[in-house]
Amino acid sequence: MDFSEPENWARIRREAEEFTAEHVTRDVIEHERRTGDGVDRALTRKLGERGWIASGWPVAEGGAGLDPFEAAALWNALRKGGVPTAGPGTTMLPANAIRATGSAELKARVLPGVAAGEVLICLGYTEPAGGSDVFACATRSQLDGDEWIVNGQKIFTTFAHLADYCFLLTRSQPGSVGPRGLTMLLVPLDSPGIEIHAVHTMGHERTNIVFYNDVRVADANRIGEAHEGFAVMRAALEAEQNVAPGSRTGWVADDALAFARTHRGPDGTELINDVLVRERLARMAMEAEVADLLDLRVAFLDAEGDKPGPVSALFGPESYVRASAAAVDIAGSAGMIDWTDPQSAVDGSLDAHYRSAVATTIYGGSSEVLRSLIVENRLGFPRSRPRR
Amino acid sequence: MDLSLTREQRAVREAFAALFGKQATPQRVRNAERSPSVGFDGLLWRHYADIGALGIGVPSDCGGGDGGLLELALVAEEAGRRLAPIPVAETAAAARLLGRLREKELLGPVLSGSVIVSLATQPGPVAQQLLVDGAIADAVLALDGDSLVYVNRPDGLSKTARSNLGGLSLARWGALGATTVLAEGSEARAAFDTAVDEVRVLRAAALIGLASEAVGIGSRYAIVREAFGQPIGMYQAVAHPFADAITGLDGAQLLVRKACWAMDSAQDDAGALAAMAFVFAAETAYHATTHSLHVHGGYGFMEEYDIQLYYRRAKAWAAAFADPRRELLTVADRRFGPVTTGGR
Repeated sequence: MDFSEPENWARIRREAEEFTAEHVTRDVIEHERRTGDGVDRALTRKLGERGWIASGWPVAEGGAGLDPFEAAALWNALRKGGVPTAGPGTTMLPANAIRATGSAELKARVLPGVAAGEVLICLGYTEPAGGSDVFACATRSQLDGDEWIVNGQKIFTTFAHLADYCFLLTRSQPGSVGPRGLTMLLVPLDSPGIEIHAVHTMGHERTNIVFYNDVRVADANRIGEAHEGFAVMRAALEAEQNVAPGSRTGWVADDALAFARTHRGPDGTELINDVLVRERLARMAMEAEVADLLDLRVAFLDAEGDKPGPVSALFGPESYVRASAAAVDIAGSAGMIDWTDPQSAVDGSLDAHYRSAVATTIYGGSSEVLRSLIVENRLGFPRSRPRR
Repeated sequence: MDLSLTREQRAVREAFAALFGKQATPQRVRNAERSPSVGFDGLLWRHYADIGALGIGVPSDCGGGDGGLLELALVAEEAGRRLAPIPVAETAAAARLLGRLREKELLGPVLSGSVIVSLATQPGPVAQQLLVDGAIADAVLALDGDSLVYVNRPDGLSKTARSNLGGLSLARWGALGATTVLAEGSEARAAFDTAVDEVRVLRAAALIGLASEAVGIGSRYAIVREAFGQPIGMYQAVAHPFADAITGLDGAQLLVRKACWAMDSAQDDAGALAAMAFVFAAETAYHATTHSLHVHGGYGFMEEYDIQLYYRRAKAWAAAFADPRRELLTVADRRFGPVTTGGR
């Protein structure tokens, strides 16, 4: 057993830091904080030039040929350096599904642009009445000649307003329920009949509600077999649960420690010397260590072709929420001033963490769904969600 | 970067899983707890010594197997899984400490199992400590002032333990037997601190094995026990805490293994990782065994059910070493540096 980092991780991280130092200006950071777009198209193209968008794909396909560890090191460093990663990171989930199950023509048409950072794909799973139950899909699609006609509504379609395509889950067999009778379509977002409405969140992310009214989509943009969208969807969902996004618990731990080293408590004691504070900072550091280890193991087992179940996807966000709450408790009013105030402590990060953390326990599978999957996969528990 | 066990390490784990599976049956665990020395099965101890357990982590020039802390952690995890009624953590750390000091003569009878040497994990006079293996140890290593000492059991002291929560051979030595100084000054302190960190990691490993088995017992029960017309495992309030337990145990095991690697390769962060491993394993084991007992309903409290054996030890095996929350302050000292001014 060897936990030492191979030298190339440090090299990759250094390259990412050089990139962010050069391209991620304060303006880029503040623009993202103001808009919550989740993507910067110019920056995304620059990442594409380096093969970093589809970093795990071979160089011949526009990637960088990185293994899962190297890719994680790269993307964590880019994110930490202020690159808005929601757009390019999310794009890779459908891009990988297309690469695995799409037609040769579709792959040739779409994937080179993805790798180049020119093409962005958002996720069209969630509906207003769906939530964690993605197979409650009610958006309809009907084949008419060589086109599908799509009608319905999706919600939480993050960066739809900047994306080129939506990876859209539709119900193609009227009267079907659950995972049967679904078809997956790659819908160009400039198609007539699409309306995109902004939704702003307490975490300053912008997301969207997208309406589809008689939108016509070429059958050539279908992914996988008609009415067999479940197989495509399952591959994409598993990829989401097993690709560790890199826990942010350690970021809060670092930010809270920086705050405690520079501030005093109400009784005048330096916070870093207060046992009540030290205990909580130590707990954050411990949980950050565990979250990072679980992430590391995902990359390791992924390389070995093994899946440990979504324990990392459960622990990372849950510990992030705990840490972000404890950080505000420790810091009090001085820690809740946000970044727009020039005098905010640690660049307003404690306010930002508390605002952002809770959403991480929802997207990519709510903690409750993940817990059910873990006990089913690891302990053989009976399924508690009703079968359809 | 490699998170897999070697073939040899897997063989160690399997050999001890087989030994404890055969020799540390629930009946033997109960019998040991009812015996005067509480928590000691002499026959199991002989098998444990015969298979070479005590030499695993000792250098080969001292008669050992040159293994690392990870090999010992694998043994401790398997011992914990069966609640093996023998002293594992402190005796392994003590044997390694003797090996590090090249005390070949003292090690001879230790490796054969004929002399049990444990560790007094609190610094300070041995006579003031409630020793975790006090009823059965023939000697303890201790840090007294600036001296690392080998303290023999006082002559004629009865091998009777204080009756306790966790089947531990707890006893106090009011008087001390013959005492030898093995090292002094900073060397003594460094050697003692390393041994105590190894106890942190090995106790964590034992708690992980213990809690993994408890989760197995509890989840198997939840899958077959029915209430209101269906298995109680169908109710998410029953099922979901098991997911947190599995997640915590995966994390604790990774933390233990990283701490082993860090200690054996002298990484800067080794001390912080050892303390984290102890705290995280202790808290996870407590929550995991509590829920595993709880799902049994009233049956969980019955002496006949094994789960209560696990529930009691999950707390006792950790607290007999240290209060987990106090250990978070050890993590803080090691990660953030010591308190520099009069804190609270």
